[in-house]
Amino acid sequence: MAISVVMPALEMAQETGKLISWLKKEGESVAKGEPLLEIETDKAVMEIESPGDGVLAGIKVHAGTEVPVGRTIAWIVRPGEVPPAEEVTVESGRKTSTATTASAMSNAAPSNRPPASTTSTQAASAIKSSPKARRLASERGVNFAGVRGSGPGGEILASDILAAAESKPAAPPAEVGTGSPISRLMAERTTQSWTTVPHFFVVREVDAGALNEARQKLGLAIERSHQAKLTHTDLLVSLVARVLQKHPRINASWTSNGVRESAEINVGLAMAVEDGVVAPVVRNADKIELGEIAIQRRDLTERARTGKLRPADIANGTFTISNLGMYGVDAFTAIIIPPQAAILAVGTIADRVVPLDGHPAIRPMITLTLSSDHRVVDGARAAEFMRDLASAIGNPQL
Amino acid sequence: MPDTTRAPADREITFAQAIREALAEEMRRDSTVFILGEDVAEAGTPFKVLAGLLEEFGKERVLDTPISEAGFTGLAVGAAMTGMRPVVDIMFGDFVTLTMDQMVNQAAKVHYMSGGKWRVPMVMRTTMGATRRSAAQHSQSLHAWFCHVPGLKVVLPSTPYDAKGLLKAAIRDENPVVFFEDKMMYKLKGPVPAEDYTVPLGVADVKRVGEDITLIATSSMVQVALGAAALLEEIGISAEVVDPRTMWPLDEKTLIDSAKKTSRVIVLDEGYERYGVTAELASVVATGAFYDLDAPVKRMGAMHVPIPFSPPLEDATVPTEQTVFEAARTMCGK
Repeated sequence: MAISVVMPALEMAQETGKLISWLKKEGESVAKGEPLLEIETDKAVMEIESPGDGVLAGIKVHAGTEVPVGRTIAWIVRPGEVPPAEEVTVESGRKTSTATTASAMSNAAPSNRPPASTTSTQAASAIKSSPKARRLASERGVNFAGVRGSGPGGEILASDILAAAESKPAAPPAEVGTGSPISRLMAERTTQSWTTVPHFFVVREVDAGALNEARQKLGLAIERSHQAKLTHTDLLVSLVARVLQKHPRINASWTSNGVRESAEINVGLAMAVEDGVVAPVVRNADKIELGEIAIQRRDLTERARTGKLRPADIANGTFTISNLGMYGVDAFTAIIIPPQAAILAVGTIADRVVPLDGHPAIRPMITLTLSSDHRVVDGARAAEFMRDLASAIGNPQL
Repeated sequence: MPDTTRAPADREITFAQAIREALAEEMRRDSTVFILGEDVAEAGTPFKVLAGLLEEFGKERVLDTPISEAGFTGLAVGAAMTGMRPVVDIMFGDFVTLTMDQMVNQAAKVHYMSGGKWRVPMVMRTTMGATRRSAAQHSQSLHAWFCHVPGLKVVLPSTPYDAKGLLKAAIRDENPVVFFEDKMMYKLKGPVPAEDYTVPLGVADVKRVGEDITLIATSSMVQVALGAAALLEEIGISAEVVDPRTMWPLDEKTLIDSAKKTSRVIVLDEGYERYGVTAELASVVATGAFYDLDAPVKRMGAMHVPIPFSPPLEDATVPTEQTVFEAARTMCGK
């Protein structure tokens, strides 16, 4: 029997996937588990394996097309077999759990009917909303098309309408199909962060002389032992991670139950890619040695550049560093990546005239700007973190 | 309408004691009140609810009957029509099936059919509730059957305070009243004032004030809802528990007001969910609060099966604190 190849849902909230390429041709034979196609999700490009042994047939979707998850995009058939003509939709696995409890026994009798479920194509075509949400939307003139539902099944609830009514200008026009997933995701996430997270900023200028020395001193050794080039960013990742150990409230997030301190220290690195920004994560950056950080940073940069980041590469960051120093930027402020509570914006290292022991001196200086979520971090906490970070940069123990 | 009748109480008694006190006080106050049923006299019922009443009021006012529910219920209807105030005891709620003609076609209709010349001021007390390991013929909650019939009032107390106040109001009512006691609550303790008081029929009670979700619950499900509300509080969901106390007359306004406030409603009742009391209450809420609801009204009742004797199976047939907690959490998106 023919096996359907469906667009998989790789992330909880994923609604569509973009087919990048077929790795097999129509009519070519394929074994179960062999790479069959490449898809791009909101966050990464992934290879998808064949669901069975047979011949690839009935390709319905071609490279570059965006497809709702759960939709059949091709078939694996036996040699000579004709693929089914009819479209078959598969459950996307996004059901609410309420439907299954109380009726389990009464439904024990065998039934030929398929289980009631919402296929992803149907879900995409109808906007579900509560009566209260509809009333509020008409009272406040909110257009449903621009509102994302937060209900258990994605329904638009009263709270979504109230939020949309407050930030009306930010509701983007629904232009499906323009822009890549990364640019759309960036637009959504930064808007959400900037409009819901109360940001404040603490700026500190730090003498980077010792940092430069550390890079020179350790750079050669690490290049030899780890075959990786040591950058200022690597040093900052290591120093920041170690300072975060003493400042758990900076390495935390705001939840509905209040502040939650993160168990791990996973430092994200904001990286520019073709049409947006991604922040892959160096995990347990406080526990691994500098050479390992350099290797991980190098590999993450390479995967980001080629669009091959895996979902795990960008998950579970607890603090982020954004470095625009290489562009000659003196200083800037960065937008926090929720649910993280802080992000460090790093400017360029430039020679400045500064007072030293009562005399003007020329020193390599760097300007660091910490953006903090004021629900989690207050000014004094942010200032203490920056003081300890400045002291670590002034005397790097690596 | 808020309950303004609650008097302060400095003592706690059980649900069963509250029922017994209500009967004893009404029998002292009014000599036309008498009790009849199976094993009500010497035995004081299998649940010992009526223990001691025979000694105080004698065999003429606490009557043991043969096993003949249709017969002695008819006797009570006739006695009520001639000026007495009988309180019929139907040991297990499952046995009400035998009384249906007397209750539905006689007690409920006599006032109407006689153009108001006759009244039937009787009370039928009976039990409901599963999880007592009493099997399929002694565990049902059939109150919905009476709620369906015009001319009958139906009372479902959830606390000792309400049980005493509502039973006294039921005995003083001029209409036939069916009074359901959950047998699993007889040992439940609660504050009950020693002084005379009644709880009017048709006034709901907000048992717990909350903001995020309303749990409308009847009888022992009120206790389940309060337990679930405590669990919900731990995860930051504030649940309101509303007890209609009487299925008819029904205080629709209190239910609708709470639904409008919280925007989310679960209705809990131990009767069968299918075509049950929960359907009526959910309909009242959906109609009255439609434009304030943020989620479909959810109903939780007994599964559509004979109540099993096997304890694990029996426990799975009716809502529990945990299942209500999970349902409320899902509805609130947590």
